[in-house]
Amino acid sequence: MRRLRELLTVLAFLLPVLVLFGAFRFLPMLGAAGLSVTDYRPGGDFEFVGAENYAGLFEDQYFLASLRTTLTYVAIYVPLILVVALGTALLLHSVPWGRGFFRAALFAPYVTSLVLSGVIWKWLFEPAGLLQDPSTVLPALAIVGVWKGFGYAMLILLAGIRNVPADCLEAATVDGANVWQRFRHMLLPSLRPAMFFVVVVETIGAFQVFDLIYVMTTGGPVRASYTLAYAVYQYGFTYFEVGKAAAAGLALWAIVLLVSLTQRRAFERNP
Amino acid sequence: MPTQFRRHSRVGLTVLLAIVSLVAVGPFVLMVVVALTPRLSPTLPYAWPSSLTLDNIAGLLSTESFLRWTGNTVIYSAVSVVAVLLSASMAGYVFARKRFPGRDALLWSLLSTLMVPFHAVLMPSVVIIQLLGWADTYWGLIIPTLANAQAVLLLRQFIRALPDEVFDAARIDGAGDWRIYWNIVLPLCRPVLGTLAVFVFLWHWNDFLWPLVVAGGGETSTLTVGLATLEAGHLTLPELMSAATVTGVPCLLVFLLVQRRLVSTVSFAGPGR
Repeated sequence: MRRLRELLTVLAFLLPVLVLFGAFRFLPMLGAAGLSVTDYRPGGDFEFVGAENYAGLFEDQYFLASLRTTLTYVAIYVPLILVVALGTALLLHSVPWGRGFFRAALFAPYVTSLVLSGVIWKWLFEPAGLLQDPSTVLPALAIVGVWKGFGYAMLILLAGIRNVPADCLEAATVDGANVWQRFRHMLLPSLRPAMFFVVVVETIGAFQVFDLIYVMTTGGPVRASYTLAYAVYQYGFTYFEVGKAAAAGLALWAIVLLVSLTQRRAFERNP
Repeated sequence: MPTQFRRHSRVGLTVLLAIVSLVAVGPFVLMVVVALTPRLSPTLPYAWPSSLTLDNIAGLLSTESFLRWTGNTVIYSAVSVVAVLLSASMAGYVFARKRFPGRDALLWSLLSTLMVPFHAVLMPSVVIIQLLGWADTYWGLIIPTLANAQAVLLLRQFIRALPDEVFDAARIDGAGDWRIYWNIVLPLCRPVLGTLAVFVFLWHWNDFLWPLVVAGGGETSTLTVGLATLEAGHLTLPELMSAATVTGVPCLLVFLLVQRRLVSTVSFAGPGR
């Protein structure tokens, strides 16, 4: 009897979280699989169509192109944010004074919205026409994404740098190691876990790039920035093909999972 | 490392860092300058304004739609902060301090939702909202976003690290779980709840995709959705930058106020949504 009452108390404490996660996290996961095999449209019926939506995606040249566009964006964004975050973290660690001030300034873009970043940078890019040229639009979007997002990665890496004992670095200096050698052989190895974390988190984020594209390019010019996440939105809310949008969303999930697992294996193979 | 650089290279590094910092905050400065440029006078990049005015921002704040977006954003952020803090701390308490069957499996399954891209569950979430009749309502806007696994994890870790003696003493004094939660756990969690409140506020204030698809441009649109709508419309540049300023300044102010604490705990809270 006492155990039952105890269990009921636990359940009462968990109830809000259980209901929220059940209805708005787990149910949608099942719902996504369910929707993706129907031809549901807003206000219509859930009619079973089998794998038709998936087949439709792989016959849609715009969808296939969106995969390539997304991968290109990720391939620009992730190395760029890693280099910028590592560079700023090293700089912050090296300056003798004003560290708190500079850290706050560098982190400031992170606390604003991507929509705001998009609005400002669309205006800043206007004279150069970077968003109107299919060959520069993805690098331009990646620059804005990095500007907005690098503060977080910078702080993670800064915490990693602080874990390297200062007396080890000092001893290496006494032994004649130059700046590059200290960086290459002492800092970089101990930063690997932090860098791996940054790469995984930023890769997952980059695959879902949406807000910037909605505000800055709407997928253009000539679909040069039409990414997977933007395609999901377009299927669902421009063409009202809910089933196809759900299928595209699941494809995005599968790709993100696959890439994360590959990164984990690569990291574990060369620790 | 500061000790390992010679004097001139330290000056050089500081100058470099100052330049990078300028690139980080410069766009905000330009945004505010353009927002304060008088109507009909040339704006950047063609000319610096000869005088500054608050007329654009005042004009914007007197339009009905912009006020509604602002109010909606405040409601969305404030209600979410309170609700997430309460629900996550309740769950965090039992995950940290109670034994019950399936506890660890349940915690892991909550955390596993962090690996799911939001676009993967976007369509079913919207369909659920429509079936509930919650499209373009505060219910639909707020409630689905309260499922926050990072908050549960953060509070569970914090409550687990509290000293056992506090809980033992309370039990001996005959306090039940609700009393312990309300009178001991919540007050002791105040620092972590403060940090979490700032993060939840920022996530919701800056959230775009969910308000966009739930409100569909209707009554419950938020500032981010409104700003994106204005960007696609026919505003003058100072008007657009005024809207951007009103959208961004609250976040920057909150950040400046709690900057030190936020920066030192950012690694717990993760990159948000």
